Amino acid sequence: MKTVLVLTAVVALSGLATSVAVAQHGMPGGTPMTFFVTSEPIGDGGNLGGLAGADAHCQTLARAVGVGNRTWRAYLSTQARPGQPAVNARDRIGSGPWYNFDGVMIARDVAHLHGDTIEMARLGNNLTKRTGLTEKGQIVPGLNDYKVPRDSEWEYSRTTPYTNRHEMLTGSQLDGRAYPPELDYTCNNWTSNLDPAPGQQGGLEAGPGRPNVQIGFPDRNGGGNGSWNSSHGTNGCSQTALNRTHGVGMFYCFAAN
Amino acid sequence: MKNIFLWILIAPFVASSTAAAQGRGNPPPMPTSERVPSSLMTFFVTSEPIGNGGNLGGLAGADAHCQALATAAGAGGKTWRAYLSTQARPGQPAVNARDRIGTGPWYHPKERLLDYLKRRLSRPIIQSEIHGDTLAEAQRGSNLTKEFALTEKGELVNGIGDPLPTRHDMLTGSQPDGRAFTDNADHTCNNWTSNSTGSAQVGHSDRVGYGNQSWNSSHATTGCSQTDLVSHGGVGLFYCFAVN
Repeated sequence: MKTVLVLTAVVALSGLATSVAVAQHGMPGGTPMTFFVTSEPIGDGGNLGGLAGADAHCQTLARAVGVGNRTWRAYLSTQARPGQPAVNARDRIGSGPWYNFDGVMIARDVAHLHGDTIEMARLGNNLTKRTGLTEKGQIVPGLNDYKVPRDSEWEYSRTTPYTNRHEMLTGSQLDGRAYPPELDYTCNNWTSNLDPAPGQQGGLEAGPGRPNVQIGFPDRNGGGNGSWNSSHGTNGCSQTALNRTHGVGMFYCFAAN
Repeated sequence: MKNIFLWILIAPFVASSTAAAQGRGNPPPMPTSERVPSSLMTFFVTSEPIGNGGNLGGLAGADAHCQALATAAGAGGKTWRAYLSTQARPGQPAVNARDRIGTGPWYHPKERLLDYLKRRLSRPIIQSEIHGDTLAEAQRGSNLTKEFALTEKGELVNGIGDPLPTRHDMLTGSQPDGRAFTDNADHTCNNWTSNSTGSAQVGHSDRVGYGNQSWNSSHATTGCSQTDLVSHGGVGLFYCFAVN
């Protein structure tokens, strides 16, 4: 009964049915935000300016909403290169717990976020369409939201913010770690906006010499499976290629402190 | 206050997702091959509860409810089983929900084969994936989503964020791996015969709530009466699977 009363109270107070998700696990303004989905992409496909460029994007968006005092990190892995070890996304984001715009906990710690044991993994973390909010508190439009044929064209998506854009760049495996270096899963460590050469196009997966990036879904609902951090690859690394499968180059940001 | 304006901007589109999914607005004429439920349907959520709390008349009563709803929808030619476990009693072994439902794969009431073959967006659920039998499968998560968990009439089930009352608590009496509980506490409303004392384990058909995403084992109810179930965001619905 308590839940119903809280839900009713919040609906009555705000007059916004969409904010009932707030009521279930926390109250607005209670817990400082330490997790968000970027409300905007950088806009150059998989070229984010490396990890540093992506982190700076997180920091800029965070500063714009008044939480720039924390150290923000993009949830991205990079693959090993000669003389340069791999970087695992899971090792970049601090130790948690992380809370979204509404003060709802996304995960207690790194193990909970990734489901390090099979028992934890079966229950899953608490990242859902209702909790995977941007730094401005927006739900990220996902599968079945405002379906129009042109929603896979970047020019249309760019000017239509409510079309499906649920593919988050991660470059990571299910456990949050980097892929081996042979095939591209990170748009060449977040420096490439290239597409596959003619004859090298393939499915949504990595292949020899093919620019590609691994993505996940905050709405846990997409092509093949519902992984939040490692669902499938892309058609390439250009902005238009990312958009073809309903991504625009957004990613997850976590406060490391 | 800023976020309020953003909410106003985006809320209609988020809220309209249900309508969009159902093709409301300007629906194209529906060919007979797109009838609901589709002939492929081997999975649904009960559109209505039995209505007597956790007393379903045992597994037999719950199975009969699945069969009756399926028959009313025109899918009575299959053998339907409720996704429910029962706990061991003296002289009576436990029954695991996962062992009752056949081998799958299972399709939802609006499944069309073309969707699966051509677009990969709609796909069946399979035994090992919904139960996370391997670590990778468990980490990837089940494909049983809110859009998959439709009633036998092809309707979405109200979840978190939808108009009240919420109906997303699904009776299962099961652990996340689909097996019965082995401790002494009640997790099945006394093997689906109690409408007063006891408790039942429930999952969330929309995969939202209680700090996890489990479709089959999210939390326990505080009691077994119909009122107890309603107070938590459920009405006593459950999952039905076709074994053949």
